[in-house]
Amino acid sequence: MPFAATAVVNDWIISAASMVILAVSWNLAANAGLISLGHSAFWGVGTYTAVLSANKLGLPLVLALIPAMLIGALLGVLLAVITGRLRGIFFAISTLALSEGLRVIAVMTPGFTGGGEGIYVNPQLRIGAHWVAAIMVVGALISILVAWAISRTSWHFAFRAMRANESAAQMLGVRPIGFRVWVLALAGAMAAFAGGVRVWYGGFVDPGIAFDLHITIFAQIGPLLGGIYTLAGPVIGALLSVLLSEAARIWFGTQGFGLLVYGVALVLCILFLPHGIWGGLQRLWTFGRRRIRGEQ
Amino acid sequence: MTLLPQFLLDALLLGGLYCLMAVGLALCFGVTRIINFAHGEMIMFGAYGAFLLSVHFGIDPLLSLPLVALGVALIGFLVFKLCVQRVLDAPHVNQILLLFGVGLILQNIAVLIFTGDERSVTTAYSLASDQFFGMMVAYGRLIAFAVSIGLTVGLIVWLRISEMGRAIQAVAQQRDAAKLMGINVTAMYMVSFMVSAALGSATGAAMSFLLTITPFMGFHILIKGFAIVVLGGLGSVGGTLIAAFVLAFVETGVSYYVPEGGGWAEGVALAVLLMVLILRPRGFLGQAVDN
Repeated sequence: MPFAATAVVNDWIISAASMVILAVSWNLAANAGLISLGHSAFWGVGTYTAVLSANKLGLPLVLALIPAMLIGALLGVLLAVITGRLRGIFFAISTLALSEGLRVIAVMTPGFTGGGEGIYVNPQLRIGAHWVAAIMVVGALISILVAWAISRTSWHFAFRAMRANESAAQMLGVRPIGFRVWVLALAGAMAAFAGGVRVWYGGFVDPGIAFDLHITIFAQIGPLLGGIYTLAGPVIGALLSVLLSEAARIWFGTQGFGLLVYGVALVLCILFLPHGIWGGLQRLWTFGRRRIRGEQ
Repeated sequence: MTLLPQFLLDALLLGGLYCLMAVGLALCFGVTRIINFAHGEMIMFGAYGAFLLSVHFGIDPLLSLPLVALGVALIGFLVFKLCVQRVLDAPHVNQILLLFGVGLILQNIAVLIFTGDERSVTTAYSLASDQFFGMMVAYGRLIAFAVSIGLTVGLIVWLRISEMGRAIQAVAQQRDAAKLMGINVTAMYMVSFMVSAALGSATGAAMSFLLTITPFMGFHILIKGFAIVVLGGLGSVGGTLIAAFVLAFVETGVSYYVPEGGGWAEGVALAVLLMVLILRPRGFLGQAVDN
């Protein structure tokens, strides 16, 4: 394979795998009724922790990811604790504020984060793009595995009860705050991992890149396209959305079209395919089976 | 302490703009119970409308404001008819994400039409200022303040006095009872969504000679709007007005009295928002809202 082709392929793999991680992480929180509009907060914190711990302590990527995931999980726990009983809109808005607030802090503490000028990853610690791609893919597989494992336990039912009605779930003996802490810690660690790996590919971070609103959009487009609250949906949706944005980039070429396509896909899915592609297929399948068996 | 009068004046003038910015958001939420995540884009379109009319036809932003408001109300109508109307009874998740998506579409349409370049409107008064009693009074800000307060008062009077305004209030208070009284609930939703969009665009037009205009300006303004609306209490217009001035005073205070305050002031709205959500999600005057 010629070198140029591998560079493009690496690029695709990295963006596809990071989209899968973000989608799985977002869907995990959504499962428990927590709609995040601030996944960039986790991503950005992971990015900064990875870069800073590498530059200041000289850690290689694989080791720098450990503090990144820990801090991401800690932010999730913090979010779960401070938002307490907030639901729906209120939770969504507070995640939005969290991400923007972190961006302002990153800009205003140049001594620590490099401020608005940003920081580079220590060039001696950088590794080849194919390694970054490999680590991202492993991360994506592990996050899918985690989501699958959760779907096999009783947590799955607790989440479903929580998202239908948190007070009623509490009556049934589910302790919402405990589940919130765990689910946000997991989701936070996943998104922070993706952010921490991604920065090794670009090699540079500033507050605008780390806490970019686009990350939040990327995180929700996968689950919505593929099928929110399902296991395979977010993965399918994430891969499809990479395909969509690449296609839009190649066909139209100008800035703005890729995100416009995402916006249109988001709106169309909510209006006409609220269960996403995978959810829609599942419904079609059950419906068809019932018809064959002669049930109503 | 010589800064004090100047600080009070600046905060007051900013508060007026914030009133107009948030009152549209509050109206839309109070009536339809849907948070308009695309409100920032309405503001952005208002600013671009004023910019285009000023550059191509030489119309002053203050004169073009009604025209711009009408145009953006039309966008509001389309958004309502094509999207919002279909999710009025859907779960909150769908409503939030739908309007988020609509905002994304509008923002990127603006990127395609206007490009990402920064623009600004210059008028005779936008940079003029005078000294009064030792205070610098920027005429642009004074005019924007007057316009904002005028429109906000106009909205409140319209809601109180006109037949339609009172019908809208009835729908906000109790949707089912309003329906039984023969009020067309969906039509009232539509009207308040359009008025909200028009107010948003008016905010944009009034800000057009104060701020730089970009397709991305809406998001930061929207977050401030959220902070105000949540601080005031979702659905309460009175609370929103108080909160607008509170935020303006705190923000201006931070940028005047805290070292490097100009940068931190941007975070004030976010800190206020988080704190209110944690300590008192109902805000100053709002009612408790489930979910």
